[in-house]
Amino acid sequence: MSMAGESSNAARATYRRAAGIVRAASLIVPASCRREWLREWDGELSYRVFALDRAGRLDARAAAAVLFRTLGAFPHALSVLRNETRLETMLHDIRYALRSSLRRPTFTLLVVLTLGVGIGANSAMFSIVNSVLLQPLPYERSEELVYMFGAFKGGNQASISPPDFLDYRERQTVFSSLAARTAFGNAVIGGGDRPERVPASIATANFFSTLGVQPILGRAFRPDEEQGAHDVVIISHGLWQQRFGEHPGVLGTSVIIDGRPHTVVGVLPPLLDRMINVQVWRPVPFGTGDTAVRRFHFLRGLGRLAPGVTVAQAQREMDNIARQLEQTYPENESWKLRLVPYRELIVGDVGRTLIVLLGAVGLVLLIACGNVASLLLARASARSGEMAIRTALGASRPRLVRQLLTESLVLGLAAGTVGLGLAYYLVQGVRAAGAGILPRLSELALDQTALFFTFALSLATSLVFGLAPALHAAKGGVSAVLTSLGRGSGGRTGARTRDVLVVVQVAVSFVMLIVAGLLVRSLWQIQRVDPAFDPHGVFTAEIALPEIKYPVRADADRFWSTLTDRVRSIPGVETAAGTNLLPLRGGGDTYFYVDGRPPATDADKLNATVSVVTDGYFETMRIPVKSGRTFTGTDRADGPGVMLINEGLARRLFPGGNAVGQRLVVDFGKPFRGEIVGVVSDVRLYGQANEVPDQMYFSIRQPGAGFGATRMRLVARVQGDPTAITPQVRVVLRELDSDVPLASVEPMEEILSGSIRNVRFRAGLLAGFAGAAFLLAVIGLYGVLAYSVTRRSRELGIRIALGARSAEVFRLVVREGMLLVALGVALGLAGSFAATRFVSGMLFDVASTDANVFVAVTLALLGSGLAACVLPARRATRVDAMEALRSE
Amino acid sequence: MPRQSPNLPRPLSLSAVAVLDAIARRIRHGFDIMDTTGLPSGTVYPILGRLERDGYVRSQWEAQTTAWREKRPPRRYYEVTASGAKALAHSIHHYRTLGGRAALAAPRTPLAE
Repeated sequence: MSMAGESSNAARATYRRAAGIVRAASLIVPASCRREWLREWDGELSYRVFALDRAGRLDARAAAAVLFRTLGAFPHALSVLRNETRLETMLHDIRYALRSSLRRPTFTLLVVLTLGVGIGANSAMFSIVNSVLLQPLPYERSEELVYMFGAFKGGNQASISPPDFLDYRERQTVFSSLAARTAFGNAVIGGGDRPERVPASIATANFFSTLGVQPILGRAFRPDEEQGAHDVVIISHGLWQQRFGEHPGVLGTSVIIDGRPHTVVGVLPPLLDRMINVQVWRPVPFGTGDTAVRRFHFLRGLGRLAPGVTVAQAQREMDNIARQLEQTYPENESWKLRLVPYRELIVGDVGRTLIVLLGAVGLVLLIACGNVASLLLARASARSGEMAIRTALGASRPRLVRQLLTESLVLGLAAGTVGLGLAYYLVQGVRAAGAGILPRLSELALDQTALFFTFALSLATSLVFGLAPALHAAKGGVSAVLTSLGRGSGGRTGARTRDVLVVVQVAVSFVMLIVAGLLVRSLWQIQRVDPAFDPHGVFTAEIALPEIKYPVRADADRFWSTLTDRVRSIPGVETAAGTNLLPLRGGGDTYFYVDGRPPATDADKLNATVSVVTDGYFETMRIPVKSGRTFTGTDRADGPGVMLINEGLARRLFPGGNAVGQRLVVDFGKPFRGEIVGVVSDVRLYGQANEVPDQMYFSIRQPGAGFGATRMRLVARVQGDPTAITPQVRVVLRELDSDVPLASVEPMEEILSGSIRNVRFRAGLLAGFAGAAFLLAVIGLYGVLAYSVTRRSRELGIRIALGARSAEVFRLVVREGMLLVALGVALGLAGSFAATRFVSGMLFDVASTDANVFVAVTLALLGSGLAACVLPARRATRVDAMEALRSE
Repeated sequence: MPRQSPNLPRPLSLSAVAVLDAIARRIRHGFDIMDTTGLPSGTVYPILGRLERDGYVRSQWEAQTTAWREKRPPRRYYEVTASGAKALAHSIHHYRTLGGRAALAAPRTPLAE
């Protein structure tokens, strides 16, 4: 801009700022009058600023006044815009759009529903991915939080022993705070007639401050409370609500926990209920009992990284400390810590599933957009006549474009409304169905960004393809279009675009069907795996004996033998037994060796799961006995040690098949020598989809065998509904010992099916999406063919007039359609080989190139493609030659 | 839509009267009109646009030579047309005869001096 040479810096700066505002506002002004508009503002601004400057009156206040006045450029620009595009025109366009949408209800409904489903499904899926994967955890600076497992040669998901933890905490420099807690555990609250078993944890005093969480009532543990035993407890918000009616007077009151009175010192915020399933927190009693033993690993660490420290750096320092500890304490050989970002731990392996699902739903949207584009293109051809007439009557091209834009907007808005509703219900549904499968479900909410994004995408689709008729009308020129009017003709380019769209749709839905098919087949394979026990009609419940009342194994044995006797006498119960290791419900393992063959090195140590069972366990669960016998009344505490092992272990240890009669030495702190008296089938302890671990079974009556027997599961084989006996079992238990609660009543069948719930969830969702994609693709194909037959009715009429037989015409149309389908399938095949590699990790006993799935999907697509061709083809054979030619 | 019938134009808004009145008194540039009427730029410019559209004012660019002499870009100035003068007189008359109610709400600039 021209500028007075002698003007001051202040004047130049004021002018520059004002000119910037004006230029920004000018973007609103229609391009046709933008130059004039800018010139006027520039003239006034220069005059004013430099006149003030020359008069020496351009102080800060005057400059501000000028800038403030310049802001008026925005309303000015808007008023120019309004004058250019008249409101009446817009209203007229909207009315016209509504009328023309209502005139074609099927078309409108198809577009709105197709786009609505795409928008809804995508927003819902993205909301899930966003709140589960992308959002940081709801803790302050949560990216600094690191979870710590114990790791040794035998595994990397182990725990940390309290003495080790204290050493790490003292020597480390990479964490601003390092805490720990037990990851599993329960406590019995109450006593009286309402004992309740709740998830519990013992934690270091700084655990909550490390997370960045403050109790909403009372205080956290004091550092001195983690030294020696202190009977204090912090309770969860949920427990405070349920058991104490949210009474603030709960602080300082005494609560019986595991038979001992504890003083409530704090109540945690609801946030922690959502993140950690623990209701009772007690401080770690460092230096007492088990917590003083370096070999007992039962803590998990949680650290907050010091500013600027990475996880890798922290891991290096922990490794260094581990090496120092290894030198001092021989029992620490090969023990280390494994650091995992806390978010990764919580999100876990759901990530990949969600990404696959998000990809799938994105493809559905893509196909939906393709279909809408195809529909709009078809309509564009049909409307080129209308546009030509309107052009001939004097409508300018911008005017036509504006009107078509309005129509697209109306469609898009309607679809957006449908999508919003659908997304809302989908998110609600996933919240209900995903419980236990998806982490962080409680944080799940409909994501507005996602909704907006998919809405914008769909709108863009309808805009771009909705504009086709206007572009069409202008391209050929009015006369060209008008002369072709009434011939039922349309642009060949539009048809070509639609062909390509159909090929892509078929290909994409092919890929999705393949992936879904593989997952469904995996699910089927998993369900066919024999778990080696019969889950039907088995009642299970957890029974924990207070250790104070049942200090030794003989007490537990007596309790269990009475309990199982009385449960067996409940009408409908066939057999009953107890076990400390129910399939799919945790358990422990230990080292062992064949008597006389102790391991030479650590690497040679053998490891197997430890089940402590009562008599009748194998009969109740119907676990087949392969050789030898099960436990009987003759296996006594003072008798020789006996045990059972599973078939797989027997085969590996004693390939000759002579396992029965052999002896093993098992490490239960003290070595236990036992004779193998029986071999049982390989029970799928970790679920049908997982490998069978090596298993050892011991009798509850032999005190040296196994770990404590105070925490066991009751199993009972029942005729009819297994949970129906719950009230009677409760009565039996109360008569036996009113301090012992009955917890986690679950039919075995449910536990088993629950173990593959995530597999089923994944396969079900993907199958749903694939089905939607498939349906949309078939509808798209049908639309293309139907349109093609209409377009070619003249040609077909001539063929028929010239003597073409129905069958030939039929074949002609079908060939056109099936060519598209075949191309799509070929493209899909190529894509599938790439896509299935990505999901191969989710497959169970199914190759990612499984021929069954590929053949089935190919046939399904070809078959339904053929079906989509038949209707239009039959219509083609009925084209009336005279009718078609008359329009010539 | 036609906003005025040739014989009996609809009265202008009070702000428009103020702007038109200022121009009639030879205050002809946008910023000067704002100074005189006390109306903000976001009001004055849209009014000017409407007045010009309806043929009450016409705008011109000042001579390039004048602007050159003062080393600044040329300014746009506005003049009242014959029909503008008529509309102004009609509107002022309208507000006067309607009584004080509307005139009380008139802009800070007095309509008649």
